[in-house]
Amino acid sequence: MKEYASFLGCIIPNRYPGIEASSTRILGHFDVELVQINGASCCPAPGVFSSFHLDSWLAIAARNIALGEMTGKDIITMCNGCYGSLTEASFLLKGNKELKEKINGILSKVGCEFKGTSKIKHVIEVFSEDIGVKKIQEAMNTSLEGVRACTHYGCHFLKPAEMKKHGSSERPRLLDEIVEASGARSVDYKDKTMCCGFGGGVRARNLDVTLDFTREKLNNIISARGDCIVDQCASCHLEFDRGQVEIKKIFGQEFRVPVLYFTQLIGMGLGMGQHELGLDFHSIPAKPLLDKLNGGRR
Amino acid sequence: MTNIGIYICHCGTNIAGMIDVEELARKAAKLKDVSVVKDYRYLCSDPGQDLIKEDIRSMDLDRVVVAACSPRMHESTYRKVLSEAGINPFLLEIANIREQASWVHSEKEKTTEKAFDLVRIAVAKVKKDESLESLPADVIQRVLVIGAGIAGIQTSLDIANIGYEVVLVEKEQSIGGRMSQLGKTFPTLDCSACILTPRMVEVSTNPKIRLHTYSEVEEISGFIGNFHAKIRKKSRGLNPDLCTGCGECTARCPTKVPGEYDEGMGKRKAIYTLFPQAVPNVPVIDRANCVYITKGKCGICKKVCPAGAIDYELGDEIVEEEVGAVVVASGFDPFDPTSKEELGYGRYKNVITGLQLERLLHTAGPTKGEVIRPSDGAVPKRIAFVQCVGSRDEHANKYCSRVCCMHAIKNALLIKEHHPDAEIFIYYIDIRAFGKGYEEFYKRTQEHGIKFMRGRVAEIFEENNGNVVVRADDTLLGMVMENEVDMAVLSVGMVPRSDSAKIQKLLGIATGSDGFFMEAHAKLRPVETLVDGVFLAGTAQGPKDIPDTVAQAKGAASSALGVISHKVLELSPLISEVDERLCRGCGDCKDICEYGAIELITLDSRNAARINPALCKGCGACTVACCNGSIKLRNFTDTATFAMLEAVLGGEA
Amino acid sequence: MTEFDPRIIAFCCNWCSYVGADLAGTSRLQYPHNVRIIRTMCSGQVFPSYILKALELGADGVMIAGCHIGDCHYVSGNKKAEERFRMLLGIMKTLGLDARRIRLEWISASEGVKFANTIKEFAREIKELGPRNGGKE
Repeated sequence: MKEYASFLGCIIPNRYPGIEASSTRILGHFDVELVQINGASCCPAPGVFSSFHLDSWLAIAARNIALGEMTGKDIITMCNGCYGSLTEASFLLKGNKELKEKINGILSKVGCEFKGTSKIKHVIEVFSEDIGVKKIQEAMNTSLEGVRACTHYGCHFLKPAEMKKHGSSERPRLLDEIVEASGARSVDYKDKTMCCGFGGGVRARNLDVTLDFTREKLNNIISARGDCIVDQCASCHLEFDRGQVEIKKIFGQEFRVPVLYFTQLIGMGLGMGQHELGLDFHSIPAKPLLDKLNGGRR
Repeated sequence: MTNIGIYICHCGTNIAGMIDVEELARKAAKLKDVSVVKDYRYLCSDPGQDLIKEDIRSMDLDRVVVAACSPRMHESTYRKVLSEAGINPFLLEIANIREQASWVHSEKEKTTEKAFDLVRIAVAKVKKDESLESLPADVIQRVLVIGAGIAGIQTSLDIANIGYEVVLVEKEQSIGGRMSQLGKTFPTLDCSACILTPRMVEVSTNPKIRLHTYSEVEEISGFIGNFHAKIRKKSRGLNPDLCTGCGECTARCPTKVPGEYDEGMGKRKAIYTLFPQAVPNVPVIDRANCVYITKGKCGICKKVCPAGAIDYELGDEIVEEEVGAVVVASGFDPFDPTSKEELGYGRYKNVITGLQLERLLHTAGPTKGEVIRPSDGAVPKRIAFVQCVGSRDEHANKYCSRVCCMHAIKNALLIKEHHPDAEIFIYYIDIRAFGKGYEEFYKRTQEHGIKFMRGRVAEIFEENNGNVVVRADDTLLGMVMENEVDMAVLSVGMVPRSDSAKIQKLLGIATGSDGFFMEAHAKLRPVETLVDGVFLAGTAQGPKDIPDTVAQAKGAASSALGVISHKVLELSPLISEVDERLCRGCGDCKDICEYGAIELITLDSRNAARINPALCKGCGACTVACCNGSIKLRNFTDTATFAMLEAVLGGEA
Repeated sequence: MTEFDPRIIAFCCNWCSYVGADLAGTSRLQYPHNVRIIRTMCSGQVFPSYILKALELGADGVMIAGCHIGDCHYVSGNKKAEERFRMLLGIMKTLGLDARRIRLEWISASEGVKFANTIKEFAREIKELGPRNGGKE
């Protein structure tokens, strides 16, 4: 059995507990256990905080990593924002001795030390590396045939590519492979790697700009006849789900595209129900999608 | 008694701006055995050199230290000064106080201190230097040229026309290189074949040129004046002496595969020549695709060959050649844009490279000069050129490939002349029309209504009808623009050939950070390499257009002639020598020598090592291996090094 | 007390690293003044005793720099240097010297930036280690 320290961040416990629930359940199905990191805080968001004050961002991120290191396990995150923060902070601290000493000086006041002993992984890497596409495919017991899924990777998972190292940042394959392993069909659509609109603090400051991004992506997904969005980031997830409600309010355009975290899709392939996967917390109901599957249990 | 003169160069303000030259001279004058210290504004100038000569003669100096620029710049200049003034040229040391002091530091006091240390080191060393005499070596008066594109062809013809022999080796089955793939050339629009093929024929008929096509150099040993090359002549699957080039075999061959020469735009047979004017006009059997070789069936070409030349079992042949100089003219590869995934090459049918378009535009190409788009064979009416693909790009190559702007402009104009109603867009960062007549040509294209869009292309995506949409930031309008076109042409840059690492190792020459072979000096020694007797021509050294390639090829020819027109060359005497009285004959030096320069001889009924001065390269590996210090590298001895260390660390000189 | 100003000796091979150092100069890259370069024909020409002698005479750090493996002007001089350097590291321990005071680097003729950065880094490390005579070394 493999164990990881799970860093939850803010959005998952506060808005979309289904992401954690589905991930924990399905990882358990594949013999991967998660332990909690005690006392963890906000990651904090990579682009915004670091551009205002690099050292503050680094110190908080390093503290979170240090708390994770105390478990003696590698750390996983389920949100690209958290993944971005922890990966980038770790990359910077490992590559710069002076910076590391400075940040550890700050951390010493709260009895923490960044050592760089734990790897930072996104939960999708656990699925692709530890479990493997083949095992996922074999485990599926409910047919997802006919589901046209539009994948969304999210920026902070892929870029900067030299830090994240997931192969191509322009034409990534990781999430698509997992979606196809679940039995759904990954459908290509225009500007697939475009930002959801959430990032860089834009959502907090200029909601209309943010929603313009989101709307464009949704329009492209509709053009490609997608049944749902499959994402791997809690922030993007929020953007697409809540965003559809806000777009209706601000632009008057109504979308009803269900938004799934990729473990929720795998869960559907494992025959798990709406409540088990936390789909009932979503603003946009997943019911049309579930109806489409219509008891396809093999 | 030793009588040393020290000369400090100001190099204008290059040195004197960061080093207190007077202070340095004052300190240097106090060093032991130093008779005179002088400083001068430009020591490498004639009056500067005369100053040293004067002193040597009038003050009886026997050793000289020059504190100036890197020895790589002017060591030979000052050695000559010593010679002319009547002392041995090897009794000279250079203190590199420019490249390694004044240019890299910014505190004057500390830099002056460092310069003094460098002078002390040089003084300590010059005291240990010995007079050396250059070694004469016979020169083999022939040149090996690697690569027979326009660069190699030009170099070979120039050397052969002066009257010296050339061994010309070409990897492909025909000479001609990349230039032979081109249709019309900018800015004059004369056809490439019309100007190239006469030269190719000249190569094949010149009695002074020994041509090895479909051949690769496998090994090179030796040194300037005396290189030995082993060349593999790959089997063509037929006897070239019997082949008449009638083409019957190609015509009847049933196998068709995508042709590399046509950049995959057309098909070729499994027995084929690259193009109709190939030199030599002898085909090659493609062993990977020949049905007879892979499956044992067919054999049609053998049956139809009227000359009985086909011999499937024919093996490779190794030939050996002796030469005095080598010219590397191995050319370039086009950048493979597959890695620029956002541009969709390899995924979208109607995204092609500039060289693929070149083949389509070529009257002898797969479409006989008609530009059609790959997805449906339709004539594209809207075409976008995407510049700087793989060039000027932090994620690919940082350098400019120099020809792609003009290449795109030329092809845009050709298409416009064929189809005046065609709409052509060229997406560029800057247009670089630097050559003679290039700017005028560019202007002419603008007048033909070709639209120049200033902005790097961010992404290309495909529409359902096979059209592609080019998205770019138009930096003149400050807007992101999307433009649906029938076909996009990627102006791919030049990259070092895939096998250039092999050639680099073969010759021990250096490559720059861009991967191209490095010249000995960026400005003043553009065709030499750091290996004596090895020269560069054409795009092997960096991206170039045809005129620059030919100019450099002529330069390489003249440099190679500079070596092989001598019957005897003076070799550097900076080599190892054995004190045979001390040598125990253990042979450790012989084992470590990479050049086979050491042999064990019998001397008074005991073994001793002896060094062949013509083979020794002066690396000094044997001196370290020697168990009792009986080998020394001349003027790089351990005693000299210890003296230098004492001088700089012990504070004495 | 004046700041510790380490003395560093760099043996640079004539074909790659010395040229790289020159390139740092022509590119006007700045690096600490502490280093004194001694030109050798090849990194494989550097006797281990040169390093020991330099340390004996009070050098605070010694670097050998040569062509990258596979690029040696003399085929394999740098490989020989590498073997000898490994042996030297063992000797350093026996002599009670900190092994971080000696360094082997591959710097090509085109790596002016690497040369400058290597010297910067080495000088910083040696400063951190402190003076030789100040400690037990």
